[in-house]
Amino acid sequence: MSGGGPFYFRLNLYHRILHGMVIASFLGLAVTGLPLKFADTSWGRGLSLALGGPFVAGYLHRFFAVITFTYFALHLGYVGRLIIRRRPGVFWGPDSMVPQPRDLVQLYQHVRYFLGLGGRPRFDRWAYWEKFDYWAVFWGIAIIGASGLLLWFPTFFANFLPGRVFNLAIIVHSDEALLAVGFIFLFHFFNANLRPEKFPMDPVIFTGRIDEEEFRRDHPAEYERLRAAGQLERLRTDPPARWLRNFSRAVGLSALGIGLVLVWLIISTALR
Amino acid sequence: MLLVVGAAWAADLPKAEDCLGCHADRDLKRGAPAPGRPASLFVDPAGLKASAHGTLECVACHRTATAPHDEKLPPVSCAGCHDKARAVLAAGIHGAGKARGGRPAVACTSCHGTHQVARATTLTIETCTTCHGPQVLAYKGSIHGRSRQAGDTEAATCRSCHGPAHAAVARSNPESPVYHLNLPRTCAQCHADGELAKRHQIRVGNVYQLYMDSIHGRAVTRSGLLVSANCSDCHGSHEIKERTDPASRVFRANIPQTCGTCHAGILKVYAESVHRKPASGSAGPAAVCTDCHSAHQIRRVEAAPWQLDVIRECGGCHGAELRTYRETFHGKVTGLGFTRIAKCADCHGSHDILPASNPRSTVSPGRLVETCRQCHAKATPAFAQFHPHPDPADRARFPLLHVATVFMTALLVGTFGFFGLHTLLWLPRSMIDLLRRRRGGEGGGEAP
Repeated sequence: MSGGGPFYFRLNLYHRILHGMVIASFLGLAVTGLPLKFADTSWGRGLSLALGGPFVAGYLHRFFAVITFTYFALHLGYVGRLIIRRRPGVFWGPDSMVPQPRDLVQLYQHVRYFLGLGGRPRFDRWAYWEKFDYWAVFWGIAIIGASGLLLWFPTFFANFLPGRVFNLAIIVHSDEALLAVGFIFLFHFFNANLRPEKFPMDPVIFTGRIDEEEFRRDHPAEYERLRAAGQLERLRTDPPARWLRNFSRAVGLSALGIGLVLVWLIISTALR
Repeated sequence: MLLVVGAAWAADLPKAEDCLGCHADRDLKRGAPAPGRPASLFVDPAGLKASAHGTLECVACHRTATAPHDEKLPPVSCAGCHDKARAVLAAGIHGAGKARGGRPAVACTSCHGTHQVARATTLTIETCTTCHGPQVLAYKGSIHGRSRQAGDTEAATCRSCHGPAHAAVARSNPESPVYHLNLPRTCAQCHADGELAKRHQIRVGNVYQLYMDSIHGRAVTRSGLLVSANCSDCHGSHEIKERTDPASRVFRANIPQTCGTCHAGILKVYAESVHRKPASGSAGPAAVCTDCHSAHQIRRVEAAPWQLDVIRECGGCHGAELRTYRETFHGKVTGLGFTRIAKCADCHGSHDILPASNPRSTVSPGRLVETCRQCHAKATPAFAQFHPHPDPADRARFPLLHVATVFMTALLVGTFGFFGLHTLLWLPRSMIDLLRRRRGGEGGGEAP
């Protein structure tokens, strides 16, 4: 996975801390929320009881929801700060998360590559599936968070909204959460970690560093762009320390394990 | 032994022929009849000969008799020979020697006869009729009595429940098998016997065990509560009938009345409820006590197991409502075994249940907010618009929820379909690439 070459920073500490909050809160929300959705299954009942019953699970669910709202706000603040400081390329360009025509082209090229009809697309900083992951979480937090707040404070929201929205909120919250859990634990896990090149996990989200060989293979357009602009040397860094590599593996593989168990339970229930 | 004694006396005592010289005369009568004694002094020689005492001499019982005699003979004491029977009898109601209800006290002869002495095995229920007429009559119409008449020798008869006649004690006596606290065990002799039930095709189940664990059974057997229902309080005693018989106390339509014998207050409330009225297409009440509470498994309504299980009982008839309830937070939490959340009865009431169209109903539009406020203290009319039984599949009633479900399902299927295919295509290509790289260094197919 890692060659002997130099390492470059891909993610800063702020990105990594926020993604750490995403991991902790997402797993927490999934573990405390799924037992309610699957209350009619034996594993749902067992998990609910293990957590201390639906009311305790409910308190824990709200605790993780607060973490989610916190990192969402922190991220919006981060983006806002970039905008205020007039950092170029927030809304367009290779560093932007905004979907662009190039992403559609690269999706097309990628599928051709899957079928053996062409080479790998030359991805820049963000591949199209990474942007999809980002916006899926963005959309998910907005939808699940809003419907969750409705259900958290129903009597308050009933002051301005008709009671029927709570019926809607239950459906939306539950189905969107199932979508989020399924997407993250299957496709995000595969795209970022489980595919053979990365298997069993990509530690970059914890270490923030990517080695030169991987950088050139996965993000060739970005590598060339930075080298041409003479910015590559600024990102150059030491290999991750041993404690950081161990930490990455311990946390990353645990999170993957929990996620895979949950998605296996969901799928086996759905196929029953 | 008696015969030996009889033979020793035979030399100087009168023989049966001597006695029958006078007593075989049908017209022989007592001078001054004593109350309660037969006026006739006639003894039927054939009957005597054929009786259990056929081989005995008259003097075996009438010990002081001479032939002829002028004075009245003293009463015969059966106990002279049957001393064990006397001991048993003396402890029971039949030997108590007390006249009851204007009837004479029971003597040996009341059941066994005088000169035509009948063996215990030849006595029938008609013997009991002498004193217990109404009970025997009720019994003859009962499932037990009718089974007997149909030739079933295992069907319960008087002694099956009341015990042997000599030892029989009053129902109020704690030793009696039909004493309030003993009756369940007495009925169980047959009704907890699986083999017997099978032989007679009685679909009895394990009612005895269920009853013993029920609130009624525990009150009777553990607390010794005389006012708690035992078998006969619900099923009746002598007149007991199958539950399919419209005259039975446990015939479905009669159940509220039967339970109401003790639970009069509940019956009064229930009588006003929608469950008391016939459901469409049936004659009896829509739901009777046992539909929710069961018959033999009746449990404390304050305890969690019953509160949770009864939700399923409601669903037995209200299937769609239960299914949609289970999709809401209320229904999921109760499904997980917790009661501190709305259950059917918390909103709809229980014995007083009324349709929403009735203004007195707890779920009528006028009272709904008040009902929600039991848990949601700040509930408003807008809050109460929440539908606790939504069915998103019902497009006509819930168009918004229907659209939302269709949209969410489409989103789920679309996303999973797209990325599922994406992953299925990527995985083999990725493996091929990896193998190539391992074999021949960088062969990964980078675009030029």
